[in-house]
Amino acid sequence: MSILPSAKTPPKPGLADLTVLVYGQTKIGKSTFCSHANGALFLATEPGLNAVEVFQVPIQSWEDLLAACAEIAEGQHPFRTAVLDTVDNAYKFCTDYILKKFKIDHESDLAYGKGHALVNNEFQRVLTKLAFLPYGLFLISHAKEIEVETRTGKYTRIVPTLPDKARKIVLGMVDMVLYCDLDLTPGEDGTQNLRRVIRTKPSLYYEAGDRTGRLPETLDLDFRKFLDAFNAAVSPLKSQGAAKAPAAK
Amino acid sequence: MTAAPMVSTYSMWSLFRNCRKAVEWRHLRELVPLERDWNLHFGSLIHECLQSWHLRRDLSEVLTRIDRLCPRRLQDEGERRDWHLATAMMKGYAASYPSEGFEVIGLEKAFQGPIINPATGAASRSFVLAGKVDGVVRIGSDHFLLENKTASQLDADYLERLWTDFQITLYAYYVEQALGIPITGVIYNILVKARLQQGKGETEEEFQARRSELLAKSKTGKTTAKRKLPEADEEFQQRLEEKYAEPGMFHREMLYLSRDRFDILRSELWELTQAFLDARRRGVFYQNTSFCFNYHRPCAYFALCRSNGNPNVVENFYQRAAPHEELREPSGEANEPVF
Repeated sequence: MSILPSAKTPPKPGLADLTVLVYGQTKIGKSTFCSHANGALFLATEPGLNAVEVFQVPIQSWEDLLAACAEIAEGQHPFRTAVLDTVDNAYKFCTDYILKKFKIDHESDLAYGKGHALVNNEFQRVLTKLAFLPYGLFLISHAKEIEVETRTGKYTRIVPTLPDKARKIVLGMVDMVLYCDLDLTPGEDGTQNLRRVIRTKPSLYYEAGDRTGRLPETLDLDFRKFLDAFNAAVSPLKSQGAAKAPAAK
Repeated sequence: MTAAPMVSTYSMWSLFRNCRKAVEWRHLRELVPLERDWNLHFGSLIHECLQSWHLRRDLSEVLTRIDRLCPRRLQDEGERRDWHLATAMMKGYAASYPSEGFEVIGLEKAFQGPIINPATGAASRSFVLAGKVDGVVRIGSDHFLLENKTASQLDADYLERLWTDFQITLYAYYVEQALGIPITGVIYNILVKARLQQGKGETEEEFQARRSELLAKSKTGKTTAKRKLPEADEEFQQRLEEKYAEPGMFHREMLYLSRDRFDILRSELWELTQAFLDARRRGVFYQNTSFCFNYHRPCAYFALCRSNGNPNVVENFYQRAAPHEELREPSGEANEPVF
């Protein structure tokens, strides 16, 4: 039997098929947001989930994460979405794992950047494998400010708190980059209203992205509203997929 | 009505030979990395300085230009590094070449010409080739191209590689065709980038750690170690100037061009145009993975290729910029104060 495809892969219409990076400042509500995902299982690498009622596996090392991922892959569980909280800590665990494996104190102890490359490869291997599982994957990260020098000037940019190369790996594999932010709007009485929002489109001042290209630029930081917007955005894709289903020969 | 031919340059064809995917990203999708490449910035800064120097041979004008091109040097470490290096380099250059054995005919000479099918002699309807040479100079009755280069290291490999320089042969051919100046050869004007770094000094904690180590090793239990302070700008500039007084920091290599090379080049260039048209027609620009780490660092589009062109990577790490930036007028004159 041929292994070559007979039809094009349709766009992913379900949130459970997607990989999403959620990042933002501390205590803005990233974990609470993700906790409302369908059948969420938290891979908790740091304390901070005390206020949220969730199913969680405490992760204290890269080996813990690998073991949890293996169990998720077996499929003998009711969970539909894995939430890695936080991907920053997971990267640190990955670094510790490589340092221990190669008996070195720092990645730079291996010449010509080999240590850094080993960490990044292992990190990418596991995240890619996790993303290929038939479950949704949410990666949570904190936010930091960096200075970016472009051709037109210097900007302060808000980005996930991952090292530069790891950030490029993560942004390159996710379908959405959701930046959780505070939106300041003037109220009717002249006071300032603070609203917790998700930004889905990139700007010079923060990283964000939406591969579907259909989400509104700003959404309330509310999972139900996000889900409504997502479903409204992908419903044309679902109907297209149904209409284009190849007839059986 | 037929579309105007696409303007191509040496850098586009060179990139096409190395990695077709990179050409698609740069010349068809018009993407460039969001973050500025320091090496390219320094190269263009020195190019402007050399142009100014060869035009009027006025060192104070060149140094003023460097000051103006590095306006944030007091706050910005990268710009301060550029300023120090460019200032010392140009002072050393002016001292090394107090007079020139050539007469400058033209600087930053732009050209554009057809790409000819060597089999039929017909011009391509799809492409023209454009470029800009750093200079055209005359020695006696012979004309030479002046090609300015900054190099991190000047060794035997570097000098031998000049013989296979596709760019300059291409430029010589087109200068002859477009400007009607017969070119005898090329003068490579090479300026070496000093690797000296400005001393940053050490923090109190670093000093105490170093002092403790020295004390532990000392048989008397004493040490005269003092905390290293950051190197002053004047001291660092002095060190750089001494470095640029050493032989080997500036080099000129004169190469004579063979007419046979022109024929090989015309043929190669035509083949490249046909390969490009074929790739564009079929929409296939494949990746040359051997080129991803060509200069021991990732290609500017590595993150993009690794993500299979993920729009998140495009939108967050790249910006759009029209291709062939080398053909634009230098920013020097535009930066002249308006008052």
